Amino acid sequence: MDLDSLERQVTLLEDIQEIENLQRIYGYYFDSHQYDKVVDLFSENAVSAEIESHGVFNGKEGIRRFYWDDIGKKSQTMPPWMIRLLIIQIGGVVSVAPDGKTAKARWQTWLPEVMPSAAGPRQVWLHGYYENEYVKENGRWFFKKIYWNCTFYTTYETGWMRFPMLGYFPFPDSDAPPTAFHPYPSGYKVPYHFPHPVTGEP
Amino acid sequence: MTLELLEAEVTRLEDMQEIEDLEKKYGYYFDTRRVKDVLDLFSENTESVEIESHGQYLGKDGVRRMYMVGVGGEAETALKDIVARREKSSGAGFNVITQLQGVVTIGSNGKTAKGRWQAWLAESFPFAGTFGQYWLHGYYENEFAKENGTWLFTKLFWNTTFFTRYETGWLVQPIVGFLPMPNPDNPPTAFHPYPSGYHFPYSFPHPVTGEVEVPVFRYVHPMAT
Amino acid sequence: MATLEELQARIQRLDDIKQIEQLQKIYGYYMDYGEWQKLVDLFADNDPSVEEADRGVYKGKEGVRRYYIDLLGGVPGKVPRPGWLSIMFQLQGVISLDVGATTAKGRWYGMGMEAKPTTSLHEGELRQTWISGVYENEYVKEDSKWKIKKLHFNLTFRTPFEDGWLKVPVVGQTGPDSKILPDEPPTAYSPYPSGFHLPVSFKHPITGK
Repeated sequence: MDLDSLERQVTLLEDIQEIENLQRIYGYYFDSHQYDKVVDLFSENAVSAEIESHGVFNGKEGIRRFYWDDIGKKSQTMPPWMIRLLIIQIGGVVSVAPDGKTAKARWQTWLPEVMPSAAGPRQVWLHGYYENEYVKENGRWFFKKIYWNCTFYTTYETGWMRFPMLGYFPFPDSDAPPTAFHPYPSGYKVPYHFPHPVTGEP
Repeated sequence: MTLELLEAEVTRLEDMQEIEDLEKKYGYYFDTRRVKDVLDLFSENTESVEIESHGQYLGKDGVRRMYMVGVGGEAETALKDIVARREKSSGAGFNVITQLQGVVTIGSNGKTAKGRWQAWLAESFPFAGTFGQYWLHGYYENEFAKENGTWLFTKLFWNTTFFTRYETGWLVQPIVGFLPMPNPDNPPTAFHPYPSGYHFPYSFPHPVTGEVEVPVFRYVHPMAT
Repeated sequence: MATLEELQARIQRLDDIKQIEQLQKIYGYYMDYGEWQKLVDLFADNDPSVEEADRGVYKGKEGVRRYYIDLLGGVPGKVPRPGWLSIMFQLQGVISLDVGATTAKGRWYGMGMEAKPTTSLHEGELRQTWISGVYENEYVKEDSKWKIKKLHFNLTFRTPFEDGWLKVPVVGQTGPDSKILPDEPPTAYSPYPSGFHLPVSFKHPITGK
């Protein structure tokens, strides 16, 4: 093997490490309500963000609107004191494209949270999958597209089978309605970006 | 350091990444009941697969029997129908297996490997005729082989810690019941769920002392106080 | 195109990060089974420390040993009582290698399920609980091996299974042990719903802040 090939392999390992970290750091910033830092993880050419049933937000402008205006309420001050977010990023499978400039990754998340509802703050369990896209610009990896598909959003007292979805939460300023909001028990399966590791089939 | 040594090190790092990804993909396919895709992750030279109290199944044929035939005891000839039916099954039954905290140890020849993971599961499925929602926990100790440049499973062993109802919890109800499957090759080899105090041996040596685990079955009788 | 030396340095860095991730995950597996001596052996010899929840800071290799073997373990060789369960997943690790690559920091989530007494560490009725918190740890390379220099687990909630984190964020004994004393009082204990966020050890990947 020559130096060039070795360097390509090393770069790929580094890319995977950096993308995994990017996703985990997203989680830590989100949980601590640092929404300006979240927005800064996205490329200027970001495509969209779609989370839960909130709808699709297009471009960097839409992403800023979603995280900073809608969720962060345009400030870094604390949300209502009972509200607590914990999105645990688990099990990332990262696939870097052969040209080393874009990548995709699938993650799972477990969320033990306290969220507002019409009846006041509720303790809730959520589960969901990400199928995200990333882009390498000037040697750094950024988010290009975030897509979080909700499996269930249940209350602590009841559980996913008895109470799969606490409600429907479209944001009024989204650019498009949710593209694939089919929570449990629909049986919907979020498509994989990766091919089968052994057979190579989709 | 020479190019060859560096190359060997890079290969080792790539192998670890690939095995970690393999395990996560197993989880993702399992969650969506893509039974054929799960099967295709196993080597033709698979040693065995053992999950929960289903019993131990030997060889690639055993893997097929365990994942595909399942409860009900359908014959091999109906395999295609079972696969089709399972993959179309309604969402009422569901499972989420998260593959956590993987520690992969590559063998010295670079052709075999072992890995330990935890799994935390939220499930709902019928048990004794009614649907219930469950929390499960367990540890994996799995083995892998590199065949024609691709890593595959050669052994999968998921050891149950608890299998409890959402409404009750592991202390109150550690095991909802037994889940034997038809025609295993052997009974479960180490089904000692909580509160037995069983320690599922590690595949990795101690990172500092290098000490290798000597399995000791620390059994605590459930009626001890 | 990179030189052999540059590639070697990059590979070493990848290897260091992987080793530290494995170290922390193995820490988790040993904690699950109460392997106190093995846990102590994961720590650096030179000036390590451990602080979990509001138990206070235990300093030096002797303090670390006192924490795991004497405090958490009870008397040496003590077998965990029947029904004891302690699972703490080590999740979402972000490792930051310092320049020079002999020290590093790591942030992790710890999340788990327990069945332990709540009125004291060892005595009293067992309760089933969910536990969650954040680690901000430091690592050091000693004798060519990565070891834990500082372990700091910051508790977010420890709630009874029957109640949930909103209703009962923290159940049970609080404060340092009265017999096996720490070396210093707790430095940061603000569980839910304080809104406290443990500062992150990593730099923003884009802005560098």
